[in-house]
Amino acid sequence: MHGYSGRVLHIDLTNRKRWVESKPEEWYKTYIGGVSMATRLCWENIETGCDPLSPGNPVCIANGLFAGTPVPVGGKYGMASKSPLTGFIGDSLSSSWFTVSLKRARWDGIVVHGASEEWVSVLIDDDKVDFRDASDLVGLSTTEAEEAIREEFGDDQIRSAVIGPAGENLVRIANVSNDGRKAGRTGHGAVWGSKKLKALSVRGTHGVQVADPEELLKLSYDILEAAQGPHTQKYRILGTSSNVLNMNKLGLLPTENYREGVFDDAELISGEYLHEHYKAKTIACAQCPIACEQVGHVKEGPYAEAMGHVEYESLFALSSNCGVNDMEASIKAIANCNELGTDTMSTGVTISWAMECFERGIFTQEDFKCERYPEGFEASFGDGMAMVRLTEMIAHRDGYMGDLLAEGTRRASAKLDEERGTESYQWAMNIKGLETPGYDARALKTFAVGLAVGTRGGCHNRTAAYDPDIKGWVDRFSVDETRGELAKSTEEYAAVYDTLPLCKFIRRCFTGKADREGAWPAIAKLINATTGWEFDYDDVDLIGERAHTMKKAFNVREGWTREDDHLPYRWQHEPMTKGPSAGHIVTDEELEYLKDIYYEAKGWTEEGLIPKEKLVELGMEDVAEEIGV
Amino acid sequence: MRVQVELFGLSRLIAGEREITLTLEEGATFRDVVRALAKQYPEMIGDVVQPDGETMQAPNILNLDGRRMIQPHQMDENLGDGDRIIVMSMSAGG
Repeated sequence: MHGYSGRVLHIDLTNRKRWVESKPEEWYKTYIGGVSMATRLCWENIETGCDPLSPGNPVCIANGLFAGTPVPVGGKYGMASKSPLTGFIGDSLSSSWFTVSLKRARWDGIVVHGASEEWVSVLIDDDKVDFRDASDLVGLSTTEAEEAIREEFGDDQIRSAVIGPAGENLVRIANVSNDGRKAGRTGHGAVWGSKKLKALSVRGTHGVQVADPEELLKLSYDILEAAQGPHTQKYRILGTSSNVLNMNKLGLLPTENYREGVFDDAELISGEYLHEHYKAKTIACAQCPIACEQVGHVKEGPYAEAMGHVEYESLFALSSNCGVNDMEASIKAIANCNELGTDTMSTGVTISWAMECFERGIFTQEDFKCERYPEGFEASFGDGMAMVRLTEMIAHRDGYMGDLLAEGTRRASAKLDEERGTESYQWAMNIKGLETPGYDARALKTFAVGLAVGTRGGCHNRTAAYDPDIKGWVDRFSVDETRGELAKSTEEYAAVYDTLPLCKFIRRCFTGKADREGAWPAIAKLINATTGWEFDYDDVDLIGERAHTMKKAFNVREGWTREDDHLPYRWQHEPMTKGPSAGHIVTDEELEYLKDIYYEAKGWTEEGLIPKEKLVELGMEDVAEEIGV
Repeated sequence: MRVQVELFGLSRLIAGEREITLTLEEGATFRDVVRALAKQYPEMIGDVVQPDGETMQAPNILNLDGRRMIQPHQMDENLGDGDRIIVMSMSAGG
């Protein structure tokens, strides 16, 4: 095989053992890599029905097909486990040299089983696996932990994925960090923490064998050249935070826990403002010629020296959605999340839920007491300092509030409502337990169904159904019979990129056109030059459908039902009052109709289950046997 | 006729302005807005405006008052006096 080693490394933390599993070429052709292969590994290795924070939930890592090759933006990998937030598949992507080292160590995937009794750091040194005492790493921030490991070995070629204090404290919105990038969403950090796995480090010394090196180099060079042109200019100069002003103008910028979609001070939290006043540098992921990540630096004041990687989704969650117009507080809050190891999106949306509880008089200053703040503090919308403090309290589970918010919005609201007889679930902004993204779906009706049916919950990256709404290809305010097929098409389009994986920001750099016709033939050439296979347009298209089906199958086996495809109460009952998106909600009738036509487009039953013949058609016979209907 | 043009993203960085007023002939179209931008700010050609000087370079797009994205086939529609146009540079993800 070219492009793969054919080997998956299994590591058992309970018994400190390792073994190697060989996978046949057909398996790779079906699951490819990234989130698809990681989910498949999770399917094969999980104890079905287990508690996500129990030893039966494996950490599954699947390398990228193009990691370690010249293919631009191919230095990515997928991570999957059962999410402690959703109870369904938690799949994340990350880009870093960690994945390149893994490729050079000749591992296509890693499955971490069981749980250690003591904190452990695992070093994979080509074929060797060393279980090391990690007690000296406990309590270190993500950057500190990565640096400490590199220093210990005196080798900067060792690349690590680590958790911060939040993961150690089983914070359900904790993430995994590598080279400053994150496997961010769905709570992987807590799964690592439950295994007492602080770090996974890799040193790889082998080359990566591809089928046609000359062709791959030529194809890669052409993409590289295009990636320096106008198709990626917006990412290079301003990054994704340039979306703040766009979304605000469209009335879609989540403001004060999604009460509104227009933030009066949007200019002060915009990507343009960041660029002018706080931008320290832009950085790139491994193998990336674009370099989109904008690093903001606060030079003075209460947050002096804070440096945060400012993306749109982090920014909306930790600024307008908390009513905060102070870019310095946002940078500090983002920096805290990065270093303490929590997902910025879930952290911000959970804090905004608490702020709304405070404004409604449900929480008082007393509720925010903890060792560090013995008098407690007020936490109204707009209070940047309260927002920053809460990012720290969540990571450390400090006090009543830190411990409550560490559970994410779904569990926190359920606990509060049970304790105090409130109805705070009505403003707990999550889908399947995962906090919602920075696009208000009340006035994005295609996106609404894409989010509702999303296999990992409230995630914009896996559906991409905001594209037709926001770009005006359809009427975003209404529902019609095309939206089921559109939601299917956009989620499977995204799944192709998430499976190879390639960063979606490269999508216009193949031919200038981002659609399937523009990208799939070029991607087929990359796959073929790497593997020696003969993939065509249809084969590439199938990658997405298979990947998404695998994730849905995982959820079905874990007990998914049609009722799990829902939207937050607020989006279904409370219209916004300001801007061009005011007055809209997604009614029950609309949502159920959208689900009907989406399931139909997928070829599923009315209940959203997958017919056996559909799974067989996709080459997933063993999955058909288990969950097909 | 006069139209207000708000500049977001790259167009703002190039122009150095948040908002400008364009004076156009009666019956002017969205395409005329792009032509006027390219004439006033030639540096926009390439990154914001296509080399033809009259169509937007994707993913930059014109928006009418926050309510409607102007599609390529709508570029010859007429503007109204006092219309507010936004030049957006659309990103995804983050």
